[in-house]
Amino acid sequence: MAILLVDELTKRYRNGTLANDNLSLAVEPGEVYALLGPNGAGKTTLVRQVLGLLKPTSGRIHVDGVDVVADPKYARRAIGFLPQAQFAMEAIQVGELVYGIARLRGLDAGEARRRTDELLDELDLGPFRGTQLRSASGGIRRLAAFATAVVGHARFLVLDEPTNDVDPVRRQLLWSRLAAFRREGTTVLLVTHNLAEAERVIDRFAIIDHGRILREGTPAALRSLVTDRLRLEVTTTEAFGGAHPALQPDPATPGAYLFDHSDLAAVSAWVQAAHESGELVDFRIGPPTLDDIYTVTVGDPRREAVGAAK
Amino acid sequence: MSFFAQYGILTRMRFQMMRNEMMIFGIIQVALSVGLVLGLGYIVPDVSDTTALFLTTGTATQAIVTIGLVATPQILAMEKQEGRLEYMLTLPISREAYILAQITYVAAMALPGVVIAVALGAWHYGFGLDVSPLVLLVIPLAILSLAGVGIAMATLSPHQQLTNALTQLIIFYVLFFAPVIAPKEQLPEVLQRVSVVMPPTYAADAIRASLTGLPGTHLARSLIVMAGFAAASTALASLSLRRRG
Repeated sequence: MAILLVDELTKRYRNGTLANDNLSLAVEPGEVYALLGPNGAGKTTLVRQVLGLLKPTSGRIHVDGVDVVADPKYARRAIGFLPQAQFAMEAIQVGELVYGIARLRGLDAGEARRRTDELLDELDLGPFRGTQLRSASGGIRRLAAFATAVVGHARFLVLDEPTNDVDPVRRQLLWSRLAAFRREGTTVLLVTHNLAEAERVIDRFAIIDHGRILREGTPAALRSLVTDRLRLEVTTTEAFGGAHPALQPDPATPGAYLFDHSDLAAVSAWVQAAHESGELVDFRIGPPTLDDIYTVTVGDPRREAVGAAK
Repeated sequence: MSFFAQYGILTRMRFQMMRNEMMIFGIIQVALSVGLVLGLGYIVPDVSDTTALFLTTGTATQAIVTIGLVATPQILAMEKQEGRLEYMLTLPISREAYILAQITYVAAMALPGVVIAVALGAWHYGFGLDVSPLVLLVIPLAILSLAGVGIAMATLSPHQQLTNALTQLIIFYVLFFAPVIAPKEQLPEVLQRVSVVMPPTYAADAIRASLTGLPGTHLARSLIVMAGFAAASTALASLSLRRRG
């Protein structure tokens, strides 16, 4: 039985915005399932409905087979949640917060203390135990939020952008913690933009836009979608006169382009000429990254500004 | 986990969250009380014993109003704006325990102002207090009814700005246009009528009755109305916290 079953879910806000459009997905036990999509694609709306903060317009959501639209309390008990919003919990200290949430999730005092110590240690948060959340950096807040999500031993975690603002070293820590949870059989619904880093812990992912799932599959299966593409990254000078027409710009990375294998000869010639004429100081051609799948599937994420949901 | 265990943990976390403001809050509350009790005496030329009693007990009520109907909704509105409230609502906790923890914090902030207003007024204007043991019921109920309404206001209000604007109005209303510092008979009739549906009216009356035994107060009626406001506003607040858009 799926841990999370979303069936023909539609959410239309009162202002008319269609945030989820007949969306269906199933997250199996022990799976790390990632949701990917531009801002306003409907990811957070989906998460808020799973947690019972929003009521679907139509459709079903089951957690462990329990209808959580009818029984949102079940979802709150079952799910460890890390919100996307900045975790500014005023003047409470990192250690106090993790301990407090542990108690609220039902751990007794001794167990909550032990678990807090353990988590602060694992996430390298020890030096920040006494730091007030309001004066902590964005990365430390995110890690503290992560600790509160996992402190209650929930078997199902919903993590909305866990690595935002986190420094590279602690980001690695976070991913390895996630990998460990996965080995222990914890199920994770992960909302992330950081596909390249998330790839090694993800079992499956779905690309969402305009409230619908555009593609779903394993990272390997999705990678095969772009095997006929190549990626060009260039560093340009002021003399740069514009890219070759076969190059499709990657909106997420300035100076990065995707192009078809069949255009390789034309692009190579253009790069060589541009390099010799001093328009490019540096260039690199390689296979596409996982992020490119996203770019190819969703198209130009800049259009999110037009179609952004609430 | 029991309701009371949750309430205890949420209350402690609330104090931990607000630890930086507590000192300033407390000082401002005391300063407001001292200022009102003494300052209003300067405005009124000859302060009779009755006037002194009204000034003093009215200021005590004002201290609870400031925290309950002004600071509480402002804190909650900010919490809503920053998404912190929504996060707390994703935890497996009782909504009522969450509200009660907030009111407890508010009560602790309001109490020094209340005590100092009463003590200073009695000493400065030289009147005797006639404290009824019922004050132990009156003060918590006054806090509960005012903060309850404040919380309901904040949870129902669509914007932080609206909440903050409303709280500014409340301060003015209670200071000048409500039977809190001034006796009801001194207000124009329309304000007397309005005061019937305003919670500070009953908090002021009950506090006056239980501290001074002043004639013309209606302790039993005020207690019942306050209990009604407390119950209705808490129910409204928890209903609105349960509401899913």
